Amino acid sequence: MAASIAATETAAPTTVVTHRPWWRGKLVQVAGIVALMYVGYRLRPLEYPWPERLEWNALSGHLDEFQIWLIDERNADERNVVFGAFDAFATFVDNLVSWFTRLLLWLTWVGTTVAGTVIALRFGGWRAATWVTGAFATFALTGLWAESMQTLALMLAAVGLSLLVGIPLGIVAGLSNRFLKAITPVLDAMQIVPTFAYLIPVVVLFSVGPGAAVVSTMIYAIPPAIRITALGIRRVPVNTVEAAASVGATRGQVLSKVQLPLSRRTVLLGVNQTIMFALSMVVIAGLIGGGGLGDVVTSGLYSNPALAILAGVAIVVMAMALDRSTEAVADRTDPAHVHPTPESRKRLQLATVATVVGIVAVVALAKARGAAAIYPETATAQEWLLARVQAVLDYVQDPTTIVFSFTEPVGNFIVVELVQPLMQFLVEAPWLTTLLGVTAIALVVSGVRPAVTTFAMFAVIGAVGMWEPAMETFAQVLVATGLTVLIGVALGVAAAESNAVSKVVRPVNDVFQTLPQLVYIIPFVYLMPISYVPGIVASVLYAFPAVVRLVERGVRDVAPESVEAARAFGATRRQVLGKVKIPLAGDAVMLGVNQGIIMVLGVVVIAGLVGSGGLGYLVAQGLQRGQFGLGLLASLAILALGIALDRVTQTGRRARKEAIT
Amino acid sequence: MRNAGSVDNKEGSMSKNVRARLTLLVGVSLAAVIGLVASGSALGDAGQSCGTVTLNENGWAGSTANTYVAKYVLEKRLGCTVRITKITEVPSYQAMADGKVDAVLEDWGYPDQFNQYVTRQKTVVFAGSNGLTGHIGWFIPRYLLNKYPQFKTWRGLKGREAIFRSPESGSQGMFVGGDPSFQQKDKELIEALDLDFRHVTAGGYSAQVARVSQLIKQRKPVIMYWWTPEYLNAHLNLVEVKLPPRFKGCSDVGAGGDVKKYRCAYAAAPLKKLFSKEFAQSGSPAVKFLRNFKWPSNDAQNLVGKWIAGDRMKPDRAAERWIKANARTVNAWLR
Repeated sequence: MAASIAATETAAPTTVVTHRPWWRGKLVQVAGIVALMYVGYRLRPLEYPWPERLEWNALSGHLDEFQIWLIDERNADERNVVFGAFDAFATFVDNLVSWFTRLLLWLTWVGTTVAGTVIALRFGGWRAATWVTGAFATFALTGLWAESMQTLALMLAAVGLSLLVGIPLGIVAGLSNRFLKAITPVLDAMQIVPTFAYLIPVVVLFSVGPGAAVVSTMIYAIPPAIRITALGIRRVPVNTVEAAASVGATRGQVLSKVQLPLSRRTVLLGVNQTIMFALSMVVIAGLIGGGGLGDVVTSGLYSNPALAILAGVAIVVMAMALDRSTEAVADRTDPAHVHPTPESRKRLQLATVATVVGIVAVVALAKARGAAAIYPETATAQEWLLARVQAVLDYVQDPTTIVFSFTEPVGNFIVVELVQPLMQFLVEAPWLTTLLGVTAIALVVSGVRPAVTTFAMFAVIGAVGMWEPAMETFAQVLVATGLTVLIGVALGVAAAESNAVSKVVRPVNDVFQTLPQLVYIIPFVYLMPISYVPGIVASVLYAFPAVVRLVERGVRDVAPESVEAARAFGATRRQVLGKVKIPLAGDAVMLGVNQGIIMVLGVVVIAGLVGSGGLGYLVAQGLQRGQFGLGLLASLAILALGIALDRVTQTGRRARKEAIT
Repeated sequence: MRNAGSVDNKEGSMSKNVRARLTLLVGVSLAAVIGLVASGSALGDAGQSCGTVTLNENGWAGSTANTYVAKYVLEKRLGCTVRITKITEVPSYQAMADGKVDAVLEDWGYPDQFNQYVTRQKTVVFAGSNGLTGHIGWFIPRYLLNKYPQFKTWRGLKGREAIFRSPESGSQGMFVGGDPSFQQKDKELIEALDLDFRHVTAGGYSAQVARVSQLIKQRKPVIMYWWTPEYLNAHLNLVEVKLPPRFKGCSDVGAGGDVKKYRCAYAAAPLKKLFSKEFAQSGSPAVKFLRNFKWPSNDAQNLVGKWIAGDRMKPDRAAERWIKANARTVNAWLR
């Protein structure tokens, strides 16, 4: 595994560092630079904001003009042939989604549930079947059957098309270093640039509706498919490939008979992540006509928050059922682990036939008995569930409870003592101090090239006129990342050490990765009614699962020999953990920090919508007030911030490729 | 990622059997889908004189009220089929240009989009006012006005900004800003009127409501960006702080449109209805009705909005209740 290889590579220099005098350690150097920056801030606060002469103010206007031109071309009577192609694609996807939706409804709710369950049972086993049944039961009981089917159809189309594009590109990226290098920054941008920024261009090119929703989902969900497929291909042992080549296999044969089959498992894990990423887009896709559960969340936020929460739960359950069943299918059909005998093969074939016959029979019966397309409204538990959720919400919204008397001061404390001083420091310090300081930190931590990139990125932020909001966002991102890493490392280590913890942590991770943040963060605003804190909480909750996963794997992957050796010298469990496992997993931890930052940046816009201000608010404003230039430049600043922070923490970058798995 | 690195190649390639099965599966499901589509499209289009009307519902209670009142009349009185989309404001202009949305019943004004789509391209058509007057301003809770009667106008705020202090505003008063999708110029106003406020963005609509209602429940001082019509105004018991219509130092930035110097307070504006060009020219009976659709007052919409968002009544039922009680108004729409 690449992470452990990287870990052993860096293990050696780590031991050298300990022999250096303490004042040469990186941490001390960074602290020194920060101290210098602080001196600069104290000497000349507020006197040197980013100079207007270094801003390219016309850029925003040019971008607006571009959008106006594009929309005029789009709606012209004589439409350009290019738009015809985009239209054709959108129509195709619209139709695809409506076919899926009609199919799911045509089967009737009984038929859909049975078909889903039986297929999961045949290819994934009992556990997968239980998950699928549970998911359909959730859709039924929450009274959100029609919306769930719409979202399911949308997701089937989005995930299917993402894989159709992502896997072939991933294979190419797995085979060609050049292609991988060229495509990596594009993938980074696709993941960091907030969806809000390109929602309008997507609408101009693809109009509104399921087609546009699928396209914007694909932009976010394709990168993991490409990255993980490439990783799978690259993990196939070199000697196996060489052996195949030496017996005269052509490149095509090596690919189809050796590399693809051997990377199958990893690729299927990529499918899992694509599903998770796609489902985290349901709400945003709803803004441009995606429909389904996303709409319930958006309109629920102002009219019925309890219903928005139920819709959020339905989204999470859908994600987990899809994830667990694709995983089970991957396990059960892995040619490396399953060795079918002629008899078992025959049995499986019979089972398949029985599955198909069973589905047809049930659907026929259901239709004959007049089962409805949508689970009957009278039999749901929606009212009961809404009342329960509403009771919790009422409690949360009451400022006289004991909980509130605790949460409010805590929230105020975080803002007054933590976020605001840092923000003030970054916003009010002379711009040159900040620019040079950040560059120097990059130089110390990561080297010359990352330092140059960092300098350039911060310069870009200033040049597009986003210095102040970017510094506000930067301060919050730092606080959120700090908390994320703290929680992520603690839970990750605990999960690596104890299987019981690991079992509990995994579903928690999945919930926070797919539950739309607005669903739980608006009620949270009632508990901590102060700017910045809700946004930071949303970022931390979204980002810590990735850190937990990476740290857990890093610690688990520490070579058993090292652990054995330490035990042989009589080290206690705690000593093994503290002196061997965690230091050796250092690379994975750094990778966790790196991923944590990227994920935190992914929530900047949502944070802006719950009071964090900064770049996130501007991006939302750009979309919602139709100020394309403003939104795009703010997004650009988020991207620049992301690239800079990524380079500074790039000690973990080597293993980055597998970050998302 | 268990075992991913240690896959051995005993049974490396996918067996032929599996592949054959997959092909079969794909074939069967394709056939099923094609059959389904054929049957589905044959079933569609029942053929009514009105046909399908697509209304777009936006993210606030008033918009839900418009949409469902119109839907009820379209379905029950004109025999139309109504589809409701929930596309956010700016993209809904393109949706109308593409004919994917027929009508938006409450537009608060997006000058750039209006210029491009309505004035220049004519792909979207202005269909009159919906009877409401949108008004943006600075609002405070009534208990605060009772305590400080001078807060009736902005001049009374001067020198007393510190009353509105919050943890994040330091020694200044906190001014709670609005949703990013709404037209705002409060930062400019604060500067022009030389008030010692710090503009704090509360985030989106729901977040602002959450934040402000906690402050109001605790009877704390609060001043904020707000508007009418809005069903919550009665519930929160808000009153407006009068801003000067014209004042030296104010300019019309942020409001778009023509820059008339010294204009300060937000201008009250009739809220617009917009149709797609295709729909406007379709000759459907729905066009005439939607052109006539007009609330008798802001209060009427607030009432329906409150039933929906405050009392959690199903929108269809809220619409029915209002229509039954206001038959004369509704009949006038259909004339």
